[in-house]
Amino acid sequence: MRPNHQRLIFIIFSILLLLFSVFLILSNIRSNVIFFLTPSELKNEKVEYYDKIRIGGIVKPDSIETIKNSNEIKFIISDNISEINVSFVGIPPDLFKEGSGVVAEGTYENDMLISKKIYAKHDENYMPSDIAEQLKKNNKWNINYK
Amino acid sequence: MISYLGNFFIILSLIVSIISIIFFIINKKNEKIYFEVIYYINVRLVFLFITLAFCCLLLAYLLSDFTNLNVFFNSHTNKPLIYKFAGVWSNHEGSLLLWILIMSTYTFIFSFEKKINKKIINWTIFFQIIMIVGFLLFMILTSNPFTINPGNPNQGMGLNPILQDPALAIHPPLLYSGYVGYSLVLSMALSGLITDGIEKNWIQVIKKYSLFCWLMLTLGIGVGSFWAYYELGWGGWWFWDPVENASLMPWLAGIALIHSLQILNQNLLLKRWIIFLSILCFSLSLLGTFLVRSGILMSVHAFANDSSRGIFILLIFLVITGFSFLLFIIKTPTQNKATSLLEINKTSFLIINNIIMTIACFTVLLGTIYPLIIESITNERISVGAPYFNSTVLPILFPGLLLMAIAPALSWGKNELKNFILQIRILLIITLILMIIYILSNINLWGLIGLGLSFWIMISSIYQIYIKFLKNFNHRKFRTIISNNGSIIAHLGIGILILGITVSSVWKKEYIYNMKVGEIKTIQGYEIKLEEVKQFKVDNYETLKGKFILQQNNKKIATIVPEKRYYAVSKIVTTEAGILHQLKQDIYLIIGENNTDYWSVKIYQNPLVSFIWIGIFISFIGGLISLKR
Repeated sequence: MRPNHQRLIFIIFSILLLLFSVFLILSNIRSNVIFFLTPSELKNEKVEYYDKIRIGGIVKPDSIETIKNSNEIKFIISDNISEINVSFVGIPPDLFKEGSGVVAEGTYENDMLISKKIYAKHDENYMPSDIAEQLKKNNKWNINYK
Repeated sequence: MISYLGNFFIILSLIVSIISIIFFIINKKNEKIYFEVIYYINVRLVFLFITLAFCCLLLAYLLSDFTNLNVFFNSHTNKPLIYKFAGVWSNHEGSLLLWILIMSTYTFIFSFEKKINKKIINWTIFFQIIMIVGFLLFMILTSNPFTINPGNPNQGMGLNPILQDPALAIHPPLLYSGYVGYSLVLSMALSGLITDGIEKNWIQVIKKYSLFCWLMLTLGIGVGSFWAYYELGWGGWWFWDPVENASLMPWLAGIALIHSLQILNQNLLLKRWIIFLSILCFSLSLLGTFLVRSGILMSVHAFANDSSRGIFILLIFLVITGFSFLLFIIKTPTQNKATSLLEINKTSFLIINNIIMTIACFTVLLGTIYPLIIESITNERISVGAPYFNSTVLPILFPGLLLMAIAPALSWGKNELKNFILQIRILLIITLILMIIYILSNINLWGLIGLGLSFWIMISSIYQIYIKFLKNFNHRKFRTIISNNGSIIAHLGIGILILGITVSSVWKKEYIYNMKVGEIKTIQGYEIKLEEVKQFKVDNYETLKGKFILQQNNKKIATIVPEKRYYAVSKIVTTEAGILHQLKQDIYLIIGENNTDYWSVKIYQNPLVSFIWIGIFISFIGGLISLKR
């Protein structure tokens, strides 16, 4: 076989593989996208989400409530305008505390975010940039958040 | 005081670097005798000054000099010594200095290289110094670790307790040795292009460095995953987080690079492709750095959050990558010889490896920056979940993993399929057995594929090692028994790694319980009893320890002690998972909040997790053997 033909076949092979991966990417990425919303955005949309979403904000002070004899924790995520009730089952991460930034992932039904995953940040001063922006926009920014 | 000295050394190294750049440009044409002497002295001076600056920061940390703003923010007098040490690179500014130190160390070591001609060395150093200047400017202008504290405190803010961990103390230096080392690979590629000096020796040297970088990266990622596994308390070790992806991309490109260099070693084929990969590796490292440090992506372990830094890194990234690819297009080397692809030989297998790795790298990249693209177009904020990566990257890697089992044993030129009839039979038998298992039971398909793949790779690798062993044993060549098997051992490690990943992710069990002291709960094959919960005071934290007894048929097997630590300085609680490491499974316990008399307890049974670490380690050893050869 001539070298040119060989190269051609290799190029065709790579293109096929590339097409295959583009197909995989497109079909997978759509179903695995998780939307990120702030409490206000979620309230304004007035829809129930049965797909997973992420809500980011601040754990409202004095809102954490542990349910007796279970692993359920209820708390409120706030962006200082709107508030979302969250029910979480499991052990919250270490940096989860009242008054600091949090992102909860779950489904939104009957005005309640049913969550099995909470993200709090490694860095105690860190705040998701989206929330920071939101807070600045609403003039609710507090320098202590950093 | 120390800070002033540090600043002084930084400025000094910047000045000397700039001088050597100018000096090189002026003397590029007429090669006077004194040129090299001065040039090399300059290069070594840069290394010396940066090292001294680094020592200054180290000293500031060790002496807890809180007049330094960086020390003030990240250290505390009652912190254990090792973490004062590690505190240097636990933050953005200090880690940047470490980055520059490693960059200049590579340059320094490379300046002693004797194998390749002086012209290439000079050019390589030239590119390195330019990059060092770029990063020095970045550091001085946006994130100087020697900033003076405006106040005069006598105590610091303390290091984030979650970072106070031995694995995380060595993680950054290892990772950076990989990341930053690729800069040298890039510089060598560029100087090879400019001087048109891509020949045998160049390949040998670049091979050495790129393999070393890849090994360091592997070790760094391994240590990082191990840390995430026991420290974060999520029971997993890989989360497809943007930061992890940032390290995975150069790692994949690095695999492609070391494999393509094998081909080049044989007949100087594919020069263009290799240059491309060399540029790609460091570009991806830089892109990763940008993603991590600009705070542009929502990540579980985002670093600092400062847009001016982000813009600066983006600028560095664009300049370096843009210039490199431009040079690549202009000065692209000519292909001199065609080879017989399409036959069952090593070359075509290695090319397939390259194609697959590059595409896998591309899919990870796309998944990582997809949220950015969407946000800039539609203003919606999204994130891409882990299932995307699993269901995209794994199928793409699959054919490559299938072929890697036999690739090392193939010959370079000839068509030699008939030597592999035995191995192909083994593969067919494995597949058949697994298909029967699949039909007869409702076992997880992914798990089954992973099992088949890992057994195929392991059996084939061991078989090849055995054959080589026999051959050399008869000829009494004991040294070659080991030294010839580097790549096969590395592949064996990957086989073990795949086994560990598959089994631990598919068959892991998770329990959440509420337990009173004295209560017994059952998990698969064992009972777990909460014996007591006690509080202690240690060094710089207080700890709450839960003592759990693991029993089997009322016989005590082990004690597992998960902890919750409270660091008073930074007012942070950290979880220390209690893990019983066994070869066949890890039993992983986390103690949570208490609720009247009950403690919430999370238990994971992770089968074969240890194989992940063993696999990574064996791969690393295999790489080391290849490096030594």
